Amino acid sequence: MATVELPARERVERLEQMWQGKPGILGWLTTTDHKKIGLLYFWTTLVFFAAGGAEALTMRTQLAHANNNVVGPATYDELFTMHGVTMIFFFIIPMTTGAFGNYLIPLLIGARDMAFPRMNALSYWIFLTSGLFLYIGFATGNGPNGAWFGFTPLTERAFSPTRAEDFYTLALIFNGISSSLGSANFIVTMFKLRAPGMSFNRMPTFCYAFLAASFGLLFALPVLTADCIYLYLDRIVGTHFFDPAHGGSVLLWQHLFWIFGHPEVYILIVPAFGIATSIIPAMTQRKLVAYPLVAIAELLVVFIGFGVWAHHMYTTGLPTIQVVFFGAATAMVVIPSSIQVFSWCMSMVTGRARFKTPLLFIAGFIWMFVNGGLTGIMFVSIPFDQQVHDTYFVIAHFHYIIFGAAVFPIFGGMYYWFPKVTGKLYLERPGQISFWLIFVGTNLLFFPMYIVGLLGMPRQIYTYPGNMGWTAYNLAETIGGFLTAFGILVCVGNLLVSYLRGLPSGPDPWLGPTLEWATSSPPPEYNFAVIPTVTSAYPNWDPEDREEDVRKLADGVMVLEEGHEQPVVTTADGNFSEVIEMPHSSPWPPTLGLCLGLVFTFLVLEKFFVAGIFGALCLLSLVGWHAKEPQEA
Amino acid sequence: MTDYIFGGRREGEVPRTHEGRNPRDVSHLASQRLGVPVAWWGIAMLVASEATLMFTFIGTYYYLRSKTPVWPPVGDPEPHVVVPLILAGVLATTSLPMQLASMAARAGRLVATRRLIVLALIVQCGYISYEMWDYQHELQTTTPSHDAYESIYYVLLGADHGHVWIGILLNVWLLAKLGRGLTMYRLNATIAVTWYWHFVNLLTLFVIGTLTSATLL
Repeated sequence: MATVELPARERVERLEQMWQGKPGILGWLTTTDHKKIGLLYFWTTLVFFAAGGAEALTMRTQLAHANNNVVGPATYDELFTMHGVTMIFFFIIPMTTGAFGNYLIPLLIGARDMAFPRMNALSYWIFLTSGLFLYIGFATGNGPNGAWFGFTPLTERAFSPTRAEDFYTLALIFNGISSSLGSANFIVTMFKLRAPGMSFNRMPTFCYAFLAASFGLLFALPVLTADCIYLYLDRIVGTHFFDPAHGGSVLLWQHLFWIFGHPEVYILIVPAFGIATSIIPAMTQRKLVAYPLVAIAELLVVFIGFGVWAHHMYTTGLPTIQVVFFGAATAMVVIPSSIQVFSWCMSMVTGRARFKTPLLFIAGFIWMFVNGGLTGIMFVSIPFDQQVHDTYFVIAHFHYIIFGAAVFPIFGGMYYWFPKVTGKLYLERPGQISFWLIFVGTNLLFFPMYIVGLLGMPRQIYTYPGNMGWTAYNLAETIGGFLTAFGILVCVGNLLVSYLRGLPSGPDPWLGPTLEWATSSPPPEYNFAVIPTVTSAYPNWDPEDREEDVRKLADGVMVLEEGHEQPVVTTADGNFSEVIEMPHSSPWPPTLGLCLGLVFTFLVLEKFFVAGIFGALCLLSLVGWHAKEPQEA
Repeated sequence: MTDYIFGGRREGEVPRTHEGRNPRDVSHLASQRLGVPVAWWGIAMLVASEATLMFTFIGTYYYLRSKTPVWPPVGDPEPHVVVPLILAGVLATTSLPMQLASMAARAGRLVATRRLIVLALIVQCGYISYEMWDYQHELQTTTPSHDAYESIYYVLLGADHGHVWIGILLNVWLLAKLGRGLTMYRLNATIAVTWYWHFVNLLTLFVIGTLTSATLL
């Protein structure tokens, strides 16, 4: 036995040496390790979440009483615009795809890194610089103020003469590059880097959710980019895309924005579905009910989402036939959504549910999602949609979906994977307290919005008269907002204390079904000493396969310790195709991210020549990037 | 010791990219590989994203056209038809040398690969030289700020030219890389750049077809 163990240990030491990154800050700056990049995304998005939350609380404070004057109308316009843009583009998407996706997807499919590790690092650095770019605008008095959907003609130069909307358009284009790179990387990673044997029908539902979100981003973001290019050119060059007096169309902006914007809503929540489908089997110790249907439903939600955009435009005078078509398409979203809700509920009912904090958040998520979904279906009724258009009813529905359905699973996922990332157990009682505070707080915050919306309170007003009957509801919402914020602080505090003082978790505290639980906590830089054997969709519940991994390590099979080696498989069947060499750490992604940031900065300042110089530096960075091939590192 | 088989192959039978450092080894390893390389999927994703952006521009063209009674609007010159269509056709023929270059690289024929890329590059440079001159020339008579028709005309054509420029830069970079020999990395790059050019050539046909439709249809 001893003679077998010794070479295994040597192989592991060789892997550790081979995959070790640079130490200190330089290591973080140049890293291409998906786990470190995931953590960078996590901490950065938390900062943006805090900023977006502070903006929301300021607005709620302003609206707590009638005729309040905590902020004026101009500041209020900036606050709701920055809140929307921040939460959608700089918190939820980067938190789900950037943080959770980056950290977990290679682990779940038995890979050692993403398909394009340097591009992965680049997408983070672009995300960071685009966020800083937007907030520099805000800090210098150029905060966008035309709402997150930036409707024309309000955002045209004639009505918004400052640089605020230039920051808006360029920040969205800039951020879109990051998300497009990230989504392409996720798709290729899941297509090609799965462990041999993991055919598509054995891929975790978490991955299907991220696959759906990635395809959604890949096809939705270019439409937003085109829209923003038009607006930027209208403002800077004087083109007439949105100017009816010169053959343009105001509605062109809305069509393109919502062709992006509605799939975007599903892109925001589908990763949360993936988190739910990971937590439920582990916490109920049973396989997910109707796994293939759930996988297909996750993809279908995003696919159907591309055909419903005009339900945001029922009051713009579209022809009746179009309105009816989009109403019917909207109703179709119910089918894949309901399949998933029934699957989650039946899995919990028929399994041995352990209502620890992660599952509590998932139960809360199901309540919020069903609530927001039911009010969403009301919009299929065209007269009802027209009646509540631009009222707080829409805000309530939207936040039940976006906060309830997208953010609750993020909290659940933070608790669920905390032991994997840190190697420590979190404190259960404070975790449950944080759930109840957030659950009660969000319902108190958003449910009265349905009522004031039906009472006629329009969205995006900075104050209201005292005789409208809205004051009590608004006060309740504000209390709910602060309660939610307190719950979030308890959650963050719990995780910080647990990180410092938590008990060791071991590799698999939940007896989880997927491969991330098959490696140590926190995982080593190479993720798996042996590329795992996969024969089902729940590989960590296949003890024979895990025992085979131990034998393979002893026999030196699939250890791949000659370099940064990674197996590649055929797309559908997961047959072993080749072994590729992955890149090591690189200074070029942050360099390129910085140069791109300067390009956009000088574009907003209309210094096109200087922007061109930094554009040339971007090209030089790319030459440097590719100067050394992975096998030469 | 157990005989481990993964989808019909043992670990030792599977090609390793870092072993492909000369044309003969590259050719052998490429023949052992199942399916397309990771780089092919990477470029497919880039093309999917870029195609969506460009077809949004084309969709905008037809949307604005559907809202305008006369197209091009009164006062705007009709676009040229014959020369742009012929040139787009000539550019499209460069898909052939690019595809042959890709096949030659896969077969380990490095010199043929370089020559075919140079041949394609000459035609591509000729195309973009004329088009840039023509674009400048058109800007002297009308500008993007004249009306919505001119706005989308210049954006659509300019974006297409941008894609041709990127393709040319990729070919120059590829030639510089292949000047130092053939590796699996460079084979994958050749395959990826070839597919990028197929996309650009098809895109140019769509763009020129769209813009000339104002005169033809």
